[in-house]
Amino acid sequence: MLVSRRQFLQASIAVVPAAAVMPAVFSRAVAASAHEHASGAASTGNRTLVVVQMAGGNDGLNTLVPANDDAYYDLRKSLAVPQKDILPINNQAGFHPSLASFKELWDEGALAVVEGVGYPHQSFSHFESMDIWQTADPGKQALEGWLGRYLQGIAGQQADGFHSLVVDGRMPRALYTENVSVPLVKRIDEYQLREDPRNSHSHAARTKALLRLYASSPGATRFGALLDNTLQSAQRSSQAMQRAHQQYVSAVEYGESRLSQSLRLIAEAIDAELGLRVGHVRIGGFDTHAEQLLEHERLLAETADAIKTFYRDLQAHGRAQDVVIMTWSEFGRRVSGNASGGTDHGSAGPMFLAGTPIAGGLYGERPSLKDLDENNLKFTTDFRQVYATVLEDWLGAPAEIVLGAQFERLPLLKPAARPAPA
Amino acid sequence: MARFRAMGLQATIDHLVDFDAVDDSALETRLASQELDLEKLNHLQRWWLQRMAFSARPLQEKMALFWHGILTSSYRKVGKGPQMLAQNRLFRSEGMGRYDALLKSISRDPAMMIYLDSRSNKKAAPNENYSRELMELFSLGIGHFTEKDVRESARAFTGWQLKARTEFIFNRGQHDYGIKTFLGRTGRFDGDDIVDIIMAQPAAAEYVCTRLWSFFAYPDPEPAVVSRLAAIFRENDTEIRPVVRAIFQADEFYSDRAVAALVKGPVELAVGTVRTLAIDTDFKRFDQPIEGMGQVLFDPPNVAGWPGGAAWLNSSALLQRINLANTVATARSGPMRFHPTALLAGQDLNDADAVVGSLGELLLGGRLREPERRLLAAFLESTNNPANGLDGEPLEEKLRSLIYLLLASPDYQLV
Repeated sequence: MLVSRRQFLQASIAVVPAAAVMPAVFSRAVAASAHEHASGAASTGNRTLVVVQMAGGNDGLNTLVPANDDAYYDLRKSLAVPQKDILPINNQAGFHPSLASFKELWDEGALAVVEGVGYPHQSFSHFESMDIWQTADPGKQALEGWLGRYLQGIAGQQADGFHSLVVDGRMPRALYTENVSVPLVKRIDEYQLREDPRNSHSHAARTKALLRLYASSPGATRFGALLDNTLQSAQRSSQAMQRAHQQYVSAVEYGESRLSQSLRLIAEAIDAELGLRVGHVRIGGFDTHAEQLLEHERLLAETADAIKTFYRDLQAHGRAQDVVIMTWSEFGRRVSGNASGGTDHGSAGPMFLAGTPIAGGLYGERPSLKDLDENNLKFTTDFRQVYATVLEDWLGAPAEIVLGAQFERLPLLKPAARPAPA
Repeated sequence: MARFRAMGLQATIDHLVDFDAVDDSALETRLASQELDLEKLNHLQRWWLQRMAFSARPLQEKMALFWHGILTSSYRKVGKGPQMLAQNRLFRSEGMGRYDALLKSISRDPAMMIYLDSRSNKKAAPNENYSRELMELFSLGIGHFTEKDVRESARAFTGWQLKARTEFIFNRGQHDYGIKTFLGRTGRFDGDDIVDIIMAQPAAAEYVCTRLWSFFAYPDPEPAVVSRLAAIFRENDTEIRPVVRAIFQADEFYSDRAVAALVKGPVELAVGTVRTLAIDTDFKRFDQPIEGMGQVLFDPPNVAGWPGGAAWLNSSALLQRINLANTVATARSGPMRFHPTALLAGQDLNDADAVVGSLGELLLGGRLREPERRLLAAFLESTNNPANGLDGEPLEEKLRSLIYLLLASPDYQLV
């Protein structure tokens, strides 16, 4: 599974110009060559990174609470989490009381928290800040997502399955790349081509004609190649996902929340060995400008409960050692509340990484509440350091190429889980 | 269509743009005959979808859809009540008028005030949610204001509140009467002053005109197009109607670049299909397909509305588009039933090529290329088609499979 720097560079560079000329042809060529290699190929590996987006800007200060810091209570006032309620993780800080599931993982050593994560000259716009996190480019020049660039780099060794799966209503920019069509499942029961109810025997011929129609002149319109790639990817992944879904028996009871159900589909794809390297799911609603206490409590519980359930399921299926889960949010919230019982857009926040390969504990540095920038926390760890860590130390990909610069990694992975240098 | 052809281009544009003169009573009669509770989300959606499909003033509805994607609010946060309907009516009545007036109205609109939290904007600790999006998404775009402008604007909107969640009131006690410095100007500004100052920025006209052009023609218009439209916008005191008319009159609007340059949104796709195939529906059966394709009216994904373009074409959404084609093309009975032979009535079509040509013209407006034409004609005649051979099975069945392929085709997804 490990990709050498040279291989990766070749894939990234060699692939781009050809694809720029004829993307649809490119993807078919990749599929064909992968098919040839599938029989005698070297191990394609079985490591997966599952990314959980907490969209809207999670209030990090009320997530990992600096419970022994008087400044927190002075500034947060009625929005502060009472000291007696927090779930302490050391003598300085603790989790929000609704994060019991995270506390459980923490106690098992399977949860890492990176504090104070952000980036220089932070944007307070949801959309711009999300773009920056998803392209890993605060300079706002990059078009492709950071995971998209990774997927493009490994596209040459694509196996029969697919390397990535998004469970969401829409495609996150993080997985965007011009050359790899990433399957996106919104609801599994609808993720298939339906038959003519009266002529079900015509399905195969009709579908074949449809695929030919899409492949007939992909260059004729601006979206022709995209449509062709997307239909091929949809057709292949829907068949694989339907099989995986029918075969799957989860070992635990997943919650009803959308996040929980999304993670269940990721577990199905992992268990069916579809070749998943990257999964992306999302929970929205963190933009708590008003009356945030109960809402934030619910969102945190939903996030932590879903991640813990997913982890338990992976454990029961013997796959926990193959999966790392990582959360992110486009920013934290302002330190002081507004008059609506909520908080406006802020800056740095914590990232969570969970899984058996993770060396549990606290990383980074807690931003000081006594040294604020216009009532915003100053970030202490660049998010790209965390990206570099999971790329290099988990996926075995050359982070410098994916991220376009070198970033100091954090020891988030257990030494035994890190790949040997390629 | 034949009627518009006879009218000529200029008269057709005027007819579309000056829609206040067009009688739309048939639509009102149709809707009045249905028992719709417009405070319920799915009833409200069907009410609007029928307006789009059956109105004699299509541009009025199209403009409402345009504004719903920009000055957006969501039922999910606003909740059950008259607010979303009221906002939709605002778009219908003021959507072609002066933009400064529309922004002042939307700043007082209950749905918007709930959606972006401006109703709880008090002077002690202003809420910045509305003031940020007012500039970033409604008028200027990112890069044309600072964080300080966001805070100062939030101060100007303090005290703008709602009574019973449905009625705008100005609460003097919560308004910050102090001096604000906003976009380089200083004064005791209130919310209306903020809108006026924004609209005086050169970036405002360019932003609004770029959004309009990108909605009707193609994204990333040439600077010359934008500045031409922006000048019209300014000369007409921010009125939208002259800009829309100019868009429809622009040479670029009829250029190659404007052909198949946009991805039809799910609502546009569903409504267009209903109109073209003359399906008589209350849209009940369309709730799920439209949602599956990624667009729930009155429930945009976030404050930026629907991203559109390539974002409509992820694998899930594309499968749903094709499945909608299947549902429509195979509706032999039930509420969506339609008669394919009626589409070809009065035409003398005696071979597969002629049938494909005629339906291709109807559904793809002349964009059917030779490889696709051959492929479809071959499919129509092939033995794989359950209705094989033009003389065998009833024409009706053959046409259904052909219409399926046309509705599911890549070109039908584009406009």
